[in-house]
Amino acid sequence: MSKPFFTVYCLIIYAFLLTPIAVVVIASFNAGAFLTFPPQGLSFRWYVVFFNNEVFMRAIRTSLWIAAVTMVISGIIGTTAAIFYVQYSGRLKEAVRIAMLAPLLLPEVLTAIALLFFVYSIGIGTQTMFGMIIGHVLITLPFVFINVSASMESYDPSWSMAAQSLGAGRFTRFRRIMLPLIKPGVIGGCLFAFIISFDIFTISFMLKNVGTSTLPIQLFDYLRTNFTPEAAAVSTCSIVLTLIVVVISEKMLGLRLHRF
Amino acid sequence: MTEVSIEKLTKDYGQGPAVNGISIRIAEGEFISLLGPSGCGKTTTLKMIAGFEDATEGAIRFDGRDVVHVPVEKRDIGMVFQNYALFPHMTVEKNLAFGLEMRKISKAEIRERITKVLDMVQLAGYAERYPRQLSGGQQQRVALARALVIEPKILLLDEPLANLDAKLREEMRVFIRDLQRRVGITTVYVTHDQAEAMTMSDRVVVMFGGRIAQIGTPSDIYERPSNLEVAEFVGQVNIIRGKVGSGTISTPFGNLPAAGAYADGTEIMLALRPEAVELLPVNSGTSGVPAKVRSSYYSGSLVDYRLDLADGATVNVQTFPRTRFADGDEVLIHAPVDRFWPLGPIRGTEA
Amino acid sequence: MNVAAKKRFGPLLLIAPAAILIGVFLVLPYLNIVVMSFRMPGQGTPYGPGFTLVNYGKFFSDIFYIQQVANTLWIGFVTTLACLILGYPVAWQLARGNSAFRAMGYGLVLSPLLVGIVIRSYGWTILLGNNGLINRTLMGWGIIDGPLPLMYNALGIVIALVHVFLPFMILPIMSAIQGIDPSLEAAARSLGASKATAFRRITLPLSLPGIQAGSILVFVLSLSAYVTPSLIGGLRVKTMAVTVVDALIDTFQWPFGSALALMLSVTGAIVVVVFGRLTVMKWKA
Ligand SMILES: Nc1ncnc2c1ncn2[C@@H]1O[C@H](COP(=O)(O)OP(=O)(O)OP(=O)(O)O)[C@@H](O)[C@H]1O
Ligand SMILES: [Mg+2]
Repeated sequence: MSKPFFTVYCLIIYAFLLTPIAVVVIASFNAGAFLTFPPQGLSFRWYVVFFNNEVFMRAIRTSLWIAAVTMVISGIIGTTAAIFYVQYSGRLKEAVRIAMLAPLLLPEVLTAIALLFFVYSIGIGTQTMFGMIIGHVLITLPFVFINVSASMESYDPSWSMAAQSLGAGRFTRFRRIMLPLIKPGVIGGCLFAFIISFDIFTISFMLKNVGTSTLPIQLFDYLRTNFTPEAAAVSTCSIVLTLIVVVISEKMLGLRLHRF
Repeated sequence: MTEVSIEKLTKDYGQGPAVNGISIRIAEGEFISLLGPSGCGKTTTLKMIAGFEDATEGAIRFDGRDVVHVPVEKRDIGMVFQNYALFPHMTVEKNLAFGLEMRKISKAEIRERITKVLDMVQLAGYAERYPRQLSGGQQQRVALARALVIEPKILLLDEPLANLDAKLREEMRVFIRDLQRRVGITTVYVTHDQAEAMTMSDRVVVMFGGRIAQIGTPSDIYERPSNLEVAEFVGQVNIIRGKVGSGTISTPFGNLPAAGAYADGTEIMLALRPEAVELLPVNSGTSGVPAKVRSSYYSGSLVDYRLDLADGATVNVQTFPRTRFADGDEVLIHAPVDRFWPLGPIRGTEA
Repeated sequence: MNVAAKKRFGPLLLIAPAAILIGVFLVLPYLNIVVMSFRMPGQGTPYGPGFTLVNYGKFFSDIFYIQQVANTLWIGFVTTLACLILGYPVAWQLARGNSAFRAMGYGLVLSPLLVGIVIRSYGWTILLGNNGLINRTLMGWGIIDGPLPLMYNALGIVIALVHVFLPFMILPIMSAIQGIDPSLEAAARSLGASKATAFRRITLPLSLPGIQAGSILVFVLSLSAYVTPSLIGGLRVKTMAVTVVDALIDTFQWPFGSALALMLSVTGAIVVVVFGRLTVMKWKA
């Protein structure tokens, strides 16, 4: 294949990847009542509708809240697991890795079904958010694990040993030496967990407790019956929220990385 | 200052002992080196002294106090790692302050001590740098300063010069030795470089396969090695056969007084260092063993000769390049009687 | 606790939370679902007393379900193949292209992953519908008279699935190609191979591990996709995952739902294993 042809080909694929997303964003500014192209004039009218729609607003708050809780739990569990994996797992290393990545490799639908039956079997059911949050933690755990273990791989155990020889106890070694050095991985993993959790559909759909709805579920429900550009406005806001998280992380990680 | 005593120390990782019942008494302020080939258990020994590894058996005492159950962070050691292990996210100053902060020392004193130690390692003015902004040699000195600034009971170094180039390595040898003398700290130094061990240490511990082969001053080790392995590990050596008979040992180089209790008729190995031998022209009129130059290697300050004796044996000789001999020249070899050192009987010849 | 015990068991505390989470909330539920598939159907309860094979019997005796599994496998296969064909050149470009292009391309490939799957599928409904952007445009240009059937059929599902899973094909292939020493191709050229031959005989076979990983990932993901098929396929075309979830949500037939889910997973696993066998790489062993 010749070079220009090749470049054009790749650009077409990139366009293919971005088009559906761009279409949603553009549609959200449509002044008309239906999703028509080209838009019938520009307006923020559907954003106003959306912001006044208590159902969607509640769903967004729920999603943000669940994502935050998931991020914290997943961040802690995934980080400690990654430390164990890199420094102590020894001959079990491969087994630990497969186990930690399993939630990513298993079909989400199947995990959701299995977890749904399980929470009912053990009598917890879906009266609370417990099952849903466990599901979110499971799905996001591999992302924290991958990010933190990547930074752990470049963590030299002799740094901990040096700190210990200088009189630092277990907790001080973690707080003053290891944590600052693996921070990019931890922050990256946590933000990833947040974004993924914010977008999880199937797990939430199966395990949500009665009366609770996350943004993706609400959107999905809405889309089954409605075709107004309000859904596009909701989607665009969701995309923007994700973008904000990404930009913040870039800024923060950038700063951290410049420090040493 | 601290006296360290190691008694019958053994470490088994599960595949046979890595360190096997070694005992060393290290005097206050002494500089002792652990020397031996790769895998002989030097690092393991050092890690047990530091507390990073638990001994399978045996005791370690600092000033008579058993430290086996004292965790690393409470042992009050200073350690220099092979890769320095400087904290990459802290400046030189923060690295140096770390151990002092662990000891709850006041801010003012920390500053004072850091200034002093930076002077000592000749890095005044580098306090604000991050480790990766320093050269290898500078990092090495920061690592040393970080271990010393806490004024530990004992200084442990694991091949601290291995990552430096040859010239810097020699400079740092002198530097570390001088600093250690000035501070007067008890020091254990791990290396597999015999020249390093010899130039720096008060005493050298030679280890093979987890056991101690010999403990002694550098000249003990070099001139009076306890066996063939030690003799060969600490430098080049010619092994000369000798036969014990009526109070003397007869060798191709003449008869020596029989040292040690060997029965008559026993054949023994004698160590002869290449630089202990003199080469003379055949017509010089002195006595000597005739030999022929097979090859020679010039290295500036010295020349190495490989010589064939009449009986087919080979002798290596190292001399100053004042008189040069060409390949094929006939020469006389002269070796003073007191430069032969018996290494023990050749197996199967004991009478 | 003494020092030695602390050293031995201390680290286990690090992995304990993850081990408990995965053990209790992943392994046990999966075992549970297997057991569940052998339960008697319940009346008013999720399942009845005793064990039975009736759920599997129902599956094998109903052509509807078998056909649906076949459909789902077919959609998965076509999606995977399309991802491979579309994605390989991009992966190559990302691995070997000039660096400015590479950084941008990498970002472009990753960014769709940050947008929720509901939103991305929604984007496709806007594009593919009878009144959607594509049909409107084509009709506007007079190329077609009536709208093309792009949505509510397998074609629409495949298009959207390819979009959703393309990054999962590109990324493994990209890292496989990055792992190939470029001097191997140079060596082949020096031995007289043309650029195309060098690619076909050296780079392509060496990137097979990436192709294998990407294909398995995309295939498995497409079999179990729920959101995209249910939004694009609507009520008309259903994949197995949609049927299973709807069966569970609407009818509470847990034992049968479990059996369906397991049959889909097992057939998927068989395809993956066979595929692995067919593409086994002797030089890697
Ligand atoms: N953590 C460990 N687990 C099992 N065996 C080990 C461990 N650490 C060291 N060993 C073994 O113990 C022996 C001694 O190792 P040690 O690291 O003390 O050698 P060394 O003298 O420092 O060698 P080098 O000069 O190569 O650093 C070696 O055979 C090594 O394989
Ligand atoms: Mg060592």
